[in-house]
Amino acid sequence: MGRYSEAEEWADITPIAQNDGGPNPLAAIAYTEEYSEAMGYFRAVTARNENSERVLDLTEHIISMNPAHYTIWLYRANTIFELQQTNGSDLQDDILEELQWLDNLSLKHLKNYQIWHHRQTLMTRLDRIPPTELAFLAQMFAKDAKNYHVWSYRQWLVRRFALWDTELPYTESLLAADVRNNSAWNHRWFVLFGQHVDPRSGKGLDELGHIVDEDLLDREVGYTEDKIRLAPQNQSPWNYLRGLLRKRGSLVECKAFAEEFVGDVEGEGEGCRSSHALDFYADCMAEEKEAEKAGKALELLAKRFDPIRRNYWNYRRGLLGLGAVQA
Amino acid sequence: MSLVSGPGRAQVAGGNLPNELQLAVEKHVKYIQSLDTRKDELEYWLTEHLRLNGVYWGLTALHLLGHPDALPRHETVEFVLSCQHDNGGFGPAPGHDPHMLYTVSAVQILVTVDALDELEKRGKTGREGVGRYIAQLQDRDDGSFAGDEWGETDTRFLFGALNALSLMRLLSYIDVTKAVAYVQACANFDGGYGVSPGAESHAGQIFVCVGALAIADRLDLVDKDRLGSWLSERQLNNGGLNGRPEKLEDVCYSWWVMSSLAMIGKLGWIDKDKLSKFILQCQDPELGGMADRPGDAVDVFHTVFGIAGLSLIGYPGLKPVDPIYCMPLEVVNRAVGR
Ligand SMILES: [Zn+2]
Repeated sequence: MGRYSEAEEWADITPIAQNDGGPNPLAAIAYTEEYSEAMGYFRAVTARNENSERVLDLTEHIISMNPAHYTIWLYRANTIFELQQTNGSDLQDDILEELQWLDNLSLKHLKNYQIWHHRQTLMTRLDRIPPTELAFLAQMFAKDAKNYHVWSYRQWLVRRFALWDTELPYTESLLAADVRNNSAWNHRWFVLFGQHVDPRSGKGLDELGHIVDEDLLDREVGYTEDKIRLAPQNQSPWNYLRGLLRKRGSLVECKAFAEEFVGDVEGEGEGCRSSHALDFYADCMAEEKEAEKAGKALELLAKRFDPIRRNYWNYRRGLLGLGAVQA
Repeated sequence: MSLVSGPGRAQVAGGNLPNELQLAVEKHVKYIQSLDTRKDELEYWLTEHLRLNGVYWGLTALHLLGHPDALPRHETVEFVLSCQHDNGGFGPAPGHDPHMLYTVSAVQILVTVDALDELEKRGKTGREGVGRYIAQLQDRDDGSFAGDEWGETDTRFLFGALNALSLMRLLSYIDVTKAVAYVQACANFDGGYGVSPGAESHAGQIFVCVGALAIADRLDLVDKDRLGSWLSERQLNNGGLNGRPEKLEDVCYSWWVMSSLAMIGKLGWIDKDKLSKFILQCQDPELGGMADRPGDAVDVFHTVFGIAGLSLIGYPGLKPVDPIYCMPLEVVNRAVGR
């Protein structure tokens, strides 16, 4: 009794039992019947190298029970492409149908990454991005705006279909919703500075000086400062700001900005609203050869505002020729 | 090795009783040994695609705990060999397709139990065949590695290739210079590294990128102060480390962050006492095993990274771990001839 053993459609197939290769055959174990039966038929169709509609049904069934089974996904993708060849059907239509099924599955299994690999394999065969694709990704981000698989898929998609122009406003909407979304900050960098980058070798990315557009940098510095004012104790935009300024080789143009948040940096740090601002201020002071002032900011970090990283702040003091402080 | 989670749970609260701040060595050994007796649970089968990785995790944990013989060596080697394909690559279990990640685990296991000669004698291919399987997954134009013939690239695969090939002393099979250049292309503005050029910095990806550079002997390319600062910022007030800004702490991320710090010589930038206490709070002191964070169900994946983490920060009684390979230091020293 079973879904396959009793089906007319599968009567020609003899399922192949599990063999785990070890010394103890596992035939006797109480594997749940449904999964076990489906896997037996899967082993049998792969042994015959069968690519058919019923293989799509079978793999869909197994994936519904175990979406992480990597071999099933590979076989399914292959079957879709093989079937299209034999049927002469429209590949575009076949893929869109598959994507629709994937959408629901992805929304259910947020941490699964095989789904995204499969999606990318399908998308590689399309010349244009399906009109619903970005709306679907927005649904994914509504569930988890930092999902790493979805982000790396999205970056691949942006490069594949040259979606650069609409991405910048998109990062703005994500940051308006959550200014602490580090993935969105990274994506903003990718969109602005990754566009002219060779997608395979990455040449041109990072601070190699390939793209230094002063107007763009000015605009981004202003944008980032505004976002920091909304939540000064937020490391993502501070890192972003440092990344921008590194392209110009100096932090000091934003020293006055950092001073808005450091509080009584000459005293006990009363009124300090951001450890990142203190850190930034210390680097500005070091750049201006004001070792004592820099050292005082680092001392406040080590003692009061970020004592868990005391050793790091003391290392920074050491670089300025100053001694370590205790927490 | 089963990837089934539970039965235990990391303790929920406190962690202040003296016995809770001790590593429950015997309990963890028993827990790992018990995993393979759980074949009557569906989850055992649903996690079959991770079986070989699971053996590596369990075996490594046992070695670090000082119980290298707690898993039967012969069966372990038999199982690994049964996962090999004619092309030299390994799948996670018999009947599964070969992939870089499983091939790396296979090599790590065989090296740990000093059984590369068994591969030579009884494998579908010898070690050179395994090396060729890995080498053909490199894109000779950009230096990146695919995980399998389907061509998906990920810096994890690149690290895996350097890891396994160096353990077999076959690094000459690949273009290491190009692999290093690809890792460089994954460096980000914040000092970290991502899964591909332009992708967000992530502790797991930093571990593989820095590990690859360490194996290639090119740590000189890392901006150690900037990366070390970003990594040390991952420590939260509860002592645990997260993998990205604004994410929760987790034992596995704790390992990736601290091993990366160790590789660049900055392990002192985190508070080791607080971290050690956090990891110990993630163990189930009664039934054994560790979870991602206190209160969650234990599993073998977090168990090995918790124990490896404790070893790296010098918890007494544990065998020293190699931060690059996450294997016993003495095993790695023997394999690579340090
Ligand atoms: Zn984890």
